[in-house]
Amino acid sequence: MAQVELSNISKRYGAVEVIRDLGLTIKDGSFCALLGPSGCGKSTMLRMIAGLEAVTGGTIKIGDTDVTHTAPKSRGVAMVFQSYALYPHLTVAENITFSMSLAGAPKAAQRAAAEKVGKLLQLDQLLDRRPAALSGGQRQRVAIGRALVRDPKVFLFDEPLSNLDALLRVQMRLELARLHADLKTTMIYVTHDQVEAMTLADQIVVLDKGKIAQAGSPWELYNQPANRFVAGFIGSPGMNFLAGQGTAKGITLRDGTELALTRSAPGPVELGLRPEHFTIATDGPIRGRASVVEYLGNTSYAYIDTDHGPMVVEADGAGIKAGDQVGLVPDLSKAHLFDASGAAV
Amino acid sequence: MSEHSATPARRFDPGAILLTILTLIAAFIWFFPIYWGLVTSFRFDDETVTDFSLIPTNPTLKNYIFTIQNSDLPIWYLNSTITSVGVTVLVLLMSACTGYAISQLQFPGRKALWWMILASFMVPVSALIVNHFIIIADVKLLNSHLGIILPMLIAPVTVIIYKQFFDGLPRDFREAAVMDGATEFQLLFRIFLPMNWGITTALAIITFIGAWNSFLWPFLATQDEKMMTVTVGISAVQDAYGVAYGRLLAGAVLAGLPVSLAYLFFQRRVTQAITLTAGIKG
Ligand SMILES: Nc1ncnc2c1ncn2[C@@H]1O[C@H](COP(=O)(O)OP(=O)(O)OP(=O)(O)O)[C@@H](O)[C@H]1O
Ligand SMILES: [Mg+2]
Repeated sequence: MAQVELSNISKRYGAVEVIRDLGLTIKDGSFCALLGPSGCGKSTMLRMIAGLEAVTGGTIKIGDTDVTHTAPKSRGVAMVFQSYALYPHLTVAENITFSMSLAGAPKAAQRAAAEKVGKLLQLDQLLDRRPAALSGGQRQRVAIGRALVRDPKVFLFDEPLSNLDALLRVQMRLELARLHADLKTTMIYVTHDQVEAMTLADQIVVLDKGKIAQAGSPWELYNQPANRFVAGFIGSPGMNFLAGQGTAKGITLRDGTELALTRSAPGPVELGLRPEHFTIATDGPIRGRASVVEYLGNTSYAYIDTDHGPMVVEADGAGIKAGDQVGLVPDLSKAHLFDASGAAV
Repeated sequence: MSEHSATPARRFDPGAILLTILTLIAAFIWFFPIYWGLVTSFRFDDETVTDFSLIPTNPTLKNYIFTIQNSDLPIWYLNSTITSVGVTVLVLLMSACTGYAISQLQFPGRKALWWMILASFMVPVSALIVNHFIIIADVKLLNSHLGIILPMLIAPVTVIIYKQFFDGLPRDFREAAVMDGATEFQLLFRIFLPMNWGITTALAIITFIGAWNSFLWPFLATQDEKMMTVTVGISAVQDAYGVAYGRLLAGAVLAGLPVSLAYLFFQRRVTQAITLTAGIKG
């Protein structure tokens, strides 16, 4: 059990700076998701915490210990790889206790540990099989078991569910949540799937090109995005953005429509509105034509071509069809305003 | 689909038939001398050039008995075994370590070492045999097992195969083991090699066969009959009465026996090994 503290971390590969002056504290017992688009440096961050990649600058503390230059095995961290990296020539039990066997633990202790972990992860019937004879979800559990047996202070996961099919992913997501609730160990979880991040994590760190765009609870990221990047990244379907000029009272859209807001910023600004924050009315200030209506069962989304560009709104029960002319009334109390630099006002 | 077309129709294909005939002829041309040598070793001396029957008219074990009784064959077998096993173990051990280092470790001179190994692969060992002789003579290792073994340890192909195999393994295996606290030696001997024993077995078999069959170097390195390997020793079995084909061939059969047995038992592995090395040698 330990908190993880990153200060002024930077990483470059040759001339390319992948992580820039990054500072972050992950509280003891927290489930922290590193979220961001492909190539933003999530895996690099995780691998630096693991010790598989050296930092170019900055310090990493796990608990009270500075581990910046400590060997991976001595950091008290365990990692679950995206590919699982199970050793094909070893049985499930041997895979799970490989670290113990390297350290020279007695056979009986190894077997006992394998059985304990196996029970916890419902692998007890499979301990003597080889990885090739397991399903994807079972392999995933063995990979987790291998981390579990080391009783680490911090668990690291690099997109652990991305090789599973959709149904299994939901199931394993639940199991991970349960595991974290049982163990209460700090977990750092890399994903580019925002649903995974939102459902599992109590702290989400959104990375954008090697910098932290925002760190906070799932609620904060969704309801109080700090900038346009986070606002656009979190939420599916994504937030709608309307460009305009900031006025003292609010915003003047490009077609001259004036909308009153409680906040304001001078110069070119953007108004952000989530799909669920519209009502459909014939006389709404934003007008357009529905191009596609997606019915999802519990709700439906209408894709509407407006003068401000394509927008998506939740249209449950509105009864609109593709081709309809519609007007949209935004709920301005829920609107977000971003200044020219992209920061939330 | 009718039931008929499900089984391929036997069609008359002149190309395929011609190819089969040519292959059979080639196989016959290759096999016949071996067969002839084998049967000749069971003939009496005076019949070797008079009896042309496919199966000896008066089969005899006289040649074998003579060869075994009038030579140090058991000692030669022992010498061959010691040197071939020695060469195989050392070549595999060194090649696996070298291939691993070049593939997985970062150290100054890694590229240079790799190019050197690739370059050494272009030089035929027989071109260096005089140098080998002088060096081994200088360090007084002629007529010793070690003297036979040392120059035969040059095996760039084995290193190349191991390196390519290690290169092809996903990085995650290495990193997962490093997180688990594995040292480089544990990584090599507990993960990388056991992950695919097939490669090591295949390389062991062809290295062993190569070492057992080698003639030129053991021939130069041993003058003492007690130190000769089977291949060298058999060639030295001579007879006061001139060329005795039967005895010579009996010796050859005895020399080749272990390797032939190895082929029979490990057929699949040998084929795999030859495919592996053919990929390198182009
Ligand atoms: N060994 C390396 N040498 C050079 N550049 C690298 C190296 N490893 C990663 N990078 C670069 O660093 C950046 C971040 O890589 P990283 O793997 O951390 O991304 P990621 O956020 O995990 O992406 P993904 O979601 O696709 O896994 C990428 O632009 C990548 O090209
Ligand atoms: Mg990644």
